Order: sequence, then structure tokens, then C-alpha cells
Amino acid sequence: MIGITKGQIDHPDRILSYFKRELPILGIVTVTGLLYNLGLGAGPYFEGLMAQCLYDILRHDAVPMDMVKIATAYVVVLGLVQAMRAGKRYSVRIFSAQISWIMRHTLYHSLVHMSRHELGRENLGNLMTKAVSDVDACSEGMRKFTTEIFDTGVALVVYFVMLLVYDWRLTFLACCMIPVAYVLANRLKHVVSRANIAYKGAEGRLNLMTMDRISHALTYRINGREAQRNASYETQLTAYEKASAKANIFEGSMMPIYNAIAMGGMLMIFYFGGRNVLGDGWMAWDIASFTTYVACFTKLAIKTSHAAKLFNAVQKAQVSWQRLKPLLGLHVAQAEAPAQAAPAPAAPVTLTLSDVTCRYDAASPSLAHLSFTAKPGEIIGITGVVASGKSMLGKLFIDEVPWRGTIRLGDRDFRDLTQAERRSYISYMGHEPELMTATIEENIALGDPIDVWPYLQSVCLDEEIAALPDQAQTVAGSSGTQLSGGQQARIALARTLAHVKPIVVLDDPLASVDPKGEGRILANLRAAGQDKVILYISHRLLHFPDFDRVLFLHDGTGTCGTHTELMSRCPAYAELYRKQAEGVDYDAR
Amino acid sequence: MHAKRADYTPVKASVKASLEAHPQAVVVLIALITASVVTSLLPPLVLKEVINSLTAGQAIPFTLAGLYLFLVVVADLFETAQNSAITIFGQKITHGLRSVLCAKLDRLPATYFTTHPAGRITSVFVNDGDTIDTLYSDGVVGMLADSFKLIGILFIIFHECPGLGILLVILTPFLFVLTRHFQRSTLSAQRDNRQAIGRVSNHVPETIRNIRMIHVLGKERYMEDRYDTYISESYTAVNRSNFYDGIYSPIIKTIQTAVVAVMMIAAVSGLELQSLFGLSVGSAVAVIAYVAKIFTPIENIGMELQNIQTAIAGLRHISEFLNEPELVPPAPARPVQEDAAIVFDDVTFGYVPDQPVLQHLSFTIAPGEHVFFLGRSGAGKSTIFRLLLGLYTPQGGSIRLFGRAPETITAREKRQLYGCVEQDFKPVVGTLREQITLFDAAITDTAVWEALRLARLEGVVRGLPKGLDTDMSLSLFSRGQLQLLSIARAIVLSPKVLLLDEITANVDSQTEQDVLQALAAAAEGRTVLSISHRLSTLMKDKRKIHLT
Repeated sequence: MIGITKGQIDHPDRILSYFKRELPILGIVTVTGLLYNLGLGAGPYFEGLMAQCLYDILRHDAVPMDMVKIATAYVVVLGLVQAMRAGKRYSVRIFSAQISWIMRHTLYHSLVHMSRHELGRENLGNLMTKAVSDVDACSEGMRKFTTEIFDTGVALVVYFVMLLVYDWRLTFLACCMIPVAYVLANRLKHVVSRANIAYKGAEGRLNLMTMDRISHALTYRINGREAQRNASYETQLTAYEKASAKANIFEGSMMPIYNAIAMGGMLMIFYFGGRNVLGDGWMAWDIASFTTYVACFTKLAIKTSHAAKLFNAVQKAQVSWQRLKPLLGLHVAQAEAPAQAAPAPAAPVTLTLSDVTCRYDAASPSLAHLSFTAKPGEIIGITGVVASGKSMLGKLFIDEVPWRGTIRLGDRDFRDLTQAERRSYISYMGHEPELMTATIEENIALGDPIDVWPYLQSVCLDEEIAALPDQAQTVAGSSGTQLSGGQQARIALARTLAHVKPIVVLDDPLASVDPKGEGRILANLRAAGQDKVILYISHRLLHFPDFDRVLFLHDGTGTCGTHTELMSRCPAYAELYRKQAEGVDYDAR
Repeated sequence: MHAKRADYTPVKASVKASLEAHPQAVVVLIALITASVVTSLLPPLVLKEVINSLTAGQAIPFTLAGLYLFLVVVADLFETAQNSAITIFGQKITHGLRSVLCAKLDRLPATYFTTHPAGRITSVFVNDGDTIDTLYSDGVVGMLADSFKLIGILFIIFHECPGLGILLVILTPFLFVLTRHFQRSTLSAQRDNRQAIGRVSNHVPETIRNIRMIHVLGKERYMEDRYDTYISESYTAVNRSNFYDGIYSPIIKTIQTAVVAVMMIAAVSGLELQSLFGLSVGSAVAVIAYVAKIFTPIENIGMELQNIQTAIAGLRHISEFLNEPELVPPAPARPVQEDAAIVFDDVTFGYVPDQPVLQHLSFTIAPGEHVFFLGRSGAGKSTIFRLLLGLYTPQGGSIRLFGRAPETITAREKRQLYGCVEQDFKPVVGTLREQITLFDAAITDTAVWEALRLARLEGVVRGLPKGLDTDMSLSLFSRGQLQLLSIARAIVLSPKVLLLDEITANVDSQTEQDVLQALAAAAEGRTVLSISHRLSTLMKDKRKIHLT
């Protein structure tokens, strides 16, 4: 079997690029396809010869050995033709699989380099998800198109030429029904596609309704709406049944009708062909000519009825291609962006913010005049009431929030760094654990040769993981339901530590961990982060007294100092701390 | 393979009911299958007569030519009609089954919905429902039609050329085994591909969800490599199935060629064989046509067997769903005359009976009273609401809402007795009007606007070009506005009781003010029960019930 040709593609938004990339395999398709379809005439030809030979033997004009020769030639020639067919069928499928591979690869390459912001805008994320399924439709369409060029196009020509050779006048007469079939097909096509659209619509509505009925089952129950929803569902079921029956009948009835119309030519063949055999027609025919002609014509009629399939396949592929094209084009823009060279691991630095102002956009509240310095080995606690801008401040370091002012990493201006350099300095962990459907070990190591156990130990998870039946091989992520929220958060923290950079921004990483556990993990963090700057954003202030400094966000700005300083200098902070210490927040167990 | 014998009784009952509801459909179906099989077998016989008259040196009679054409057309039409009938038949059965599935939803306990993901239940309706269609149309009925055809062709071949008949009868089992081998290999390759595609499709949304982590850790390359691994796995599996797919049909055609060659040689070879293979020229042409036809039903039957096998899995899912234990209908209870709006009398309840969430809880709430429930998460605050809504029945003690047990309140009365505002708005599929009416046509637009006005959303909705007819979309509203919509839904039928479950938990402080003001208006003159895990100024002078 043939393996994949990996690698890239130039101009992925041009359909011809794909055909160009797969030229060698298309070469095989062309050679085998042509030979097969040219050989198609051989079947009817030999079958006619054998019928004639039988006729001659019965009349003692030939000997049985003649039949053996013809029959042997028949098997050998048709065997070769079928071998060509197998070659063509297999290679054209390889072609389609190659295209599907490279399209998926290209789409994903664009996707993984898109920013969170881009993905959120215009629902690009959803679009990309759907695009992946469009790839199948598109590569399938390209396969069918290539196949049908040979199987319908070339085959029709071969049969038609063969018929012409036998008797051109009869052929024109017999084939005059075929255009009728085409005209009718075009008329019917609209009806069929309309019925199909109606069917797809009904199917979509039914599925939507099913999902709605089930996911809101309890909402409907507590509001006493179940009976009415069931009645609506029943109505939709009936509508769906009708639409589906209609679409199926229209689609199914096309082929036999074409076939029947095209076969109308058979009447001509029986009349004029019969005269040919009897010696008073346009051509002198024997039985072999007659049977070959009939067989050829039947096959031509069937191929004709398939021609509509070609148009349908191409049309479907076109629709998918139109949807894919702009997304594949994104890649072109991507390619111009500087390649993400991995810069050397950054050395420990001091972080200095002077008079920094940031806000998501003009409409949202801002944080202004923030200034503080953090040296390697220090932990800065950042807090404030709900919506005071804690998370926004964290996201400033990962290019998700625009800012003004000066941020320095050692002697370098943060603004002057390339994106890759900025990333080499910053470790960030947000609220979401962002785990993948993979083992815990894989989630932490992410392909790097790392022993994950020390990191699991740092986040106080080693004992819990060791107790799991599959240990670090347990699957985490959206389908790994056996892990609690706290465990997931700690795995994410372990992952951050395993790939740690000089400046570590942690946005409430331990919200779902009990305070005692939080304390132990913080101690480990401090021990492991001797040369790191740690910004620890949290709404829970229990461990803030242990931090080197606290940045308290309030009224659109921030006050920085040690915990003790803030307790005396900043009444709002003192009140927040006291309230929590009294345990008013019921969730702070 | 059959680890557990599933109980298919409910599915069987549903299919039986569908058949009994449409007895004429079954008759028509059988008639069409018979007609289609018979007519499809006739044209080659006419062809034989055509050739025979030619070899006898006679012109082809016009009637014969006409008959041939007529039979071809009729056979085509019957085939179409048969296929349509099979489709319609399958659809009727699926329809019946889906109705039964939907009715089952009403009778499932609330726990079922909280412990089974909606996506999985939906898949029973949608995907497994479709496999039932496949089971009947492309499985059982299709196999019946193809078996008829196979027998018919063999019968005619026996009649025309007994030797070939014997040859084919011997060959058929081998062909069948070969076909099944190919189909099984293809199926296993396809199964591998589906698994790989599952991983491919999962990787994309997962990447989108985790894009920040990927960028922050610089793992773009790693993610791409993983993706390439998945699409390459899919490629390999597809390639395997392509290989079988590519060579199967050519092999069959070659065998077909060989069979015809053997028959023709045998027909002229000598005396003994000739008695078995003796053929007129006409028969030879006709028989060649039949040999070409016999391979199609063999291939189809193999495919249909496979369809049945695959559909069994779907059938099992449906049966499991239909066999889920159902709610016990509430015992009719006489309403108690009392002044209190809500009474919990020594209530003990646990979702799992031996792990009680509430133990011997008693309280009484007077009409018009505003009460706050406080306590840490897991203390049972929301559970109290679920019991009041009649979703669960307590294991001990009694609950009364205006003197009645919650589970005995009829569907019609529910929204007039209580309205519930949950932590998150549950958008149903429909227009804005339907978000509030929940498809109750008896609720007038005037009532809807009044509810929106009280919920302080009237202006927003009036500002939309299509007003109440706007299709619901989460992007129309902010998080806080969604809570206001939830309030409008709860109060549209002016219920006597409002249940508010942490409705400001997920909104920022500014929106919280809007929501609270809307609530103050909506709460007027009603009994209000609120859940909160934060203390706030609202609770001043209000009764608080602490749960531990």
C-alpha cells in the first residue's frame, strides 16, 4: 500500500495546487483509467464472438476448439482490464486521501497559530471545526470528479465510437433518446434538489428539537410544558417523515426514468439491427455484431443515467470548497509571519512596571498608574474585589490586553521584545486548567522528555495520582471525568512548573484547592522558584501575609506594599482581609 | 460479543405497533418487492427469443421488441417503487420508535437527566434511531428482496442451462464467503478510521479551547505533530479500506468472466456435458446477462448482514434507554387546608437514599414572606428547591406548597404556583417570545410584554428589529440581561411563589444592581425564596435559614 506524502503545499487556496501536488498519483490514475475504459468494449465484443461461435458450431461451421480459444482470450483480456480497474480504483482513492491529509494539515497549521482573540471573533473557532468536516466532502468530490472523468466521460466515448463503427446510422437513431433524458434530467434536477434541501432542513430542525427537548427536559418539567413539547416533537417527526420520503422518492426515481428513456433506442436496434443481421439493412451484421451492439448500448444507457451523479458530486464539492477556500487562504497570511524560532531559555530578570495603564477596550473600565518592582525569588500577591481588574492585569503579560506605560524585564523594554521573546520570559496560567484529552503525564510533559513526578510532588498531587489505578497514565481532559476540579487545576499548575519561565503569572490557580493544600503548594512554589518572579493573583487572602509584597487593586488603580503596610495604610484591603478571616464567604471552607 | 443479552421487548412492541397501524403499507411493500423481482428477471428471456428468431433467419417480431422495451421500463419503475416503499416503511418504523422514545422522557426521574449527558441521550434518538431505519430498510427488508432475486435468477438459469445452475450453486457459498471476508475487513478498517476521525475531530475544539496554553507554552509544533499523527492514523485506515474496496469488484468481475467462459466451453465440449450445458444461441446471450445479475444480490446480502450487525448496537442502546426505571406516579393526596405558603415537615432526603443531604428539616414560610437560604455549597440549598418543584420526593417527612404535595401539582397549574430563576438562563430553541412563554400559546403578547417590563428588558427587546419574533441567540444579551430574561420567564404567569437560585452568582456588580432592582419589582406581593452563599445588604430585616 502507498504511504502518505507529508509536507507542505504552496497556494493551498487554489484547487489546482492539489492536483499539481498529486501529479504522480494522477499519472497512475490516468494510465489505468484510460486502459480500463478503453478495454470496456472488450466484454461485449468477446461475448458477441462467443455467441457467434456457438451459432457456427451448432451449424457445424466451427469446431469446439475455436470456442476454447475465444473463451481463453476473453478471460485473459478481461482479467487485464479488471486489473487496470483495480489500479485505477485504488490510486484514485489514494489521491483523495492525500488531499484530505494535506487540507487538514494546512487548516490545522493556521488554526494553531491563531490568537485567542482571532478565534473568538466572528466565531472563527466554530468555523474551523466545521471546516474539518468540509474537507471530507471536498476531497470526496475531487475523487468522484476524477473517477467520473474516466468512468463516465471516457467510457461514454468508447461505447459511442464502438457503436458508430458497427453502424453509424443506427447509432444516431438509437441515441436520439439520450438527449431527451438529459433535458428531462435538467428539468427534474431542480425539483430533486428542492426536495433534498427541504429534507435536510427538516432533519436539521428535528435534530435541534431533539437536543432541545432533552437538554431542557427538566426546565420543561418544572414549568409543566412536557406534554406540549412532545406534541410539537410529534408534528416535527411527521414533517421529517414526509420530507424524507419525498426526497428519497425523487432521488430514486431519476435513474430508472433516464434509463428507460435511453433504452427507448432499443426499439430502433431491434428493427434496424435485425434487418442488418438478415442482410437487408445498412450494414452486414452477424449474430456477434448484434449481441455486441445490444450489450454496448445497454451499458451506454446505464452510463448516461450516471452522468447526473457526476454533476451532483462536483456541485457538492464546490459548495464545500467555497467554504474551505478562505480558511485555507489564512495559511498564506500565516506563512508571512516570522517563523517561531525557539529563543534560548531566558535568564532570571527583575520585573518593573512604571505607570502602566491597561484596559480591554475603550468601553471597559481601566487600571491606571500601576507601578511595582519584583525581583527574582519574590512572590507578589495581587488581589482586589470582584471585577477590580485582577485577571486583566495578568493577561497584560500574554498580549491579550493593550497597555501603556513602561514594563522592563531587567534592562530590556518589554515592548521591544518580539512575541517569541516575550513568550520565552512569561509563564501564565489562567482559571481554566486547559487540559487535553491525554494522560496526565502527557498533559504535563507535552512531548518533552520530562519526569513529571517532581512536579506532581510540588503541587501535592503525587500521592493522589499514585493511588489511581493507572497512575500518571490516567486520562485527563474533557473526557477524563474522574479528576476533580482541584486535581485538574493542580495538574495545570504542574504543567506550568514543568515549562517554567523567569516570570510566572498565576491567576487564581488554586481556587478549588482547600486552604491547607494551598499553603503547602505555595511553600513548594517558593522553594522551587528561587530565581523566578511570581505574580500570584487570588481572591483568597489567607496566605497573603507570607508574600513578599501585595498589590491591592481598587478604584481603577493599585496600591503596592507589604501585607502589614497595606493593613495599616489601606482600609479597603484591611476590611477585605478581616471579612475573609471571619469566614463570611461560605465557599471559603 | 454478546456479553449481556439486551431486552428488546419495548423496541419490538413499537415496531409491531407501527406495522399494525399501517397494515396496507406491509401488503404494498411485499407486492412491490415481488413485482420488482419478477419484472427485473424477464427482459433477458425476451432477448433470448429475439436472438433465437434472428438465428432462425426471421425478422424480429414487433411485439417482441415492444415487449422487451415495456419490460425494461416496468422493471425500472417497479424497482423505484420498491425502493421508495422500503424507505417509507423504514421511516414509519423510525417515526413510531422516536415517538415512543420521546414519551419515555416524561416518565424518567430527574436523576436520569442529571447523571446522563444530554449529548448521549440525543444520540440515542438521532443516531441510534437512524440505525433502526437501516436495520429494517437496508437490513431485513432489503435482504428479503435480494434473496428473492437470487433464487429467481438461479431458478431461471437452472431452467435455461442446468449445468451452469449447478456450477453457480457450488460457487455461490464460496463467493459469499469471499464477499463477507472483504466486507469484514473493510468494516474493521472503517471502524479504525472512525476512531481516528474521532480523535481528529476532538483535537480541533480542544485546540481552540486550550489555545492560550498552547501559545503561552509555545507548543504549536507539538500540537501540530499530534494532529498529524491522528490524521495519518486515519489515512492508514482509509488506505486499508480503499485497498479492499479497490480490488473487490474487479475480482468479482473476473470470476464472472471465468464462469461465462467455462459455460461456453462446456456448451460445445462434448456429449455428456452438452446435456447439461446445451444452449441455443439465444439462451447463451440471456444466460450471460443473468450471470452478470447474480453477483449483485450476493454482494447486497453480505452488505445487509453487516448492516444488521451494526444496527444491533443501536438497537441495544435504544432498548437500554426504554428499559430505564421510571418515575412512580404520585399517590393521590388530599390537599391540606393551611395558612402557610410552604411547609417542610421533618423532611429527610438524599439523592442516594443512604447519603441524606437533608435530615429532619422543618420550616414554615408564610404567604408574602421573603426568606434567604444560606450555607456552604453542598449543604442542600438547591435540593430544597428541587423538592419544592416536585423533581424529587423526600424519603421521610412531608412537603406542602399551599397545602399540596409538590408532585401532585398538575402541569397546567405549575407556572401559576411558582416561578424558578436558576443560576444560568436555559435558552430554548425558538424566538424571544418562546423564551418566555415556553411555547404556551395561551400566553398573550400583552402578558409577555408586561413580564419583560417588570424584568426591565422591555426597552432592549423593543429595540430589536423583529422584537419578540427575534430568534433567540446568546449573543443578543449580556450575562445579566439573560438573568433578567430568566426572571421574565418565571413571572409571566404571575406565580404566587418565586424561587431564586443564586441568580447574581455569575454577574458583575453593576449588572447585579439591575437584576436586584428588577427582582424587587417582580417580588412584590409574592412569596420569595432565595439561595445565596454571600451575605449582602439585601438580607437586612429578612428571615434567614442557615443550612449546615
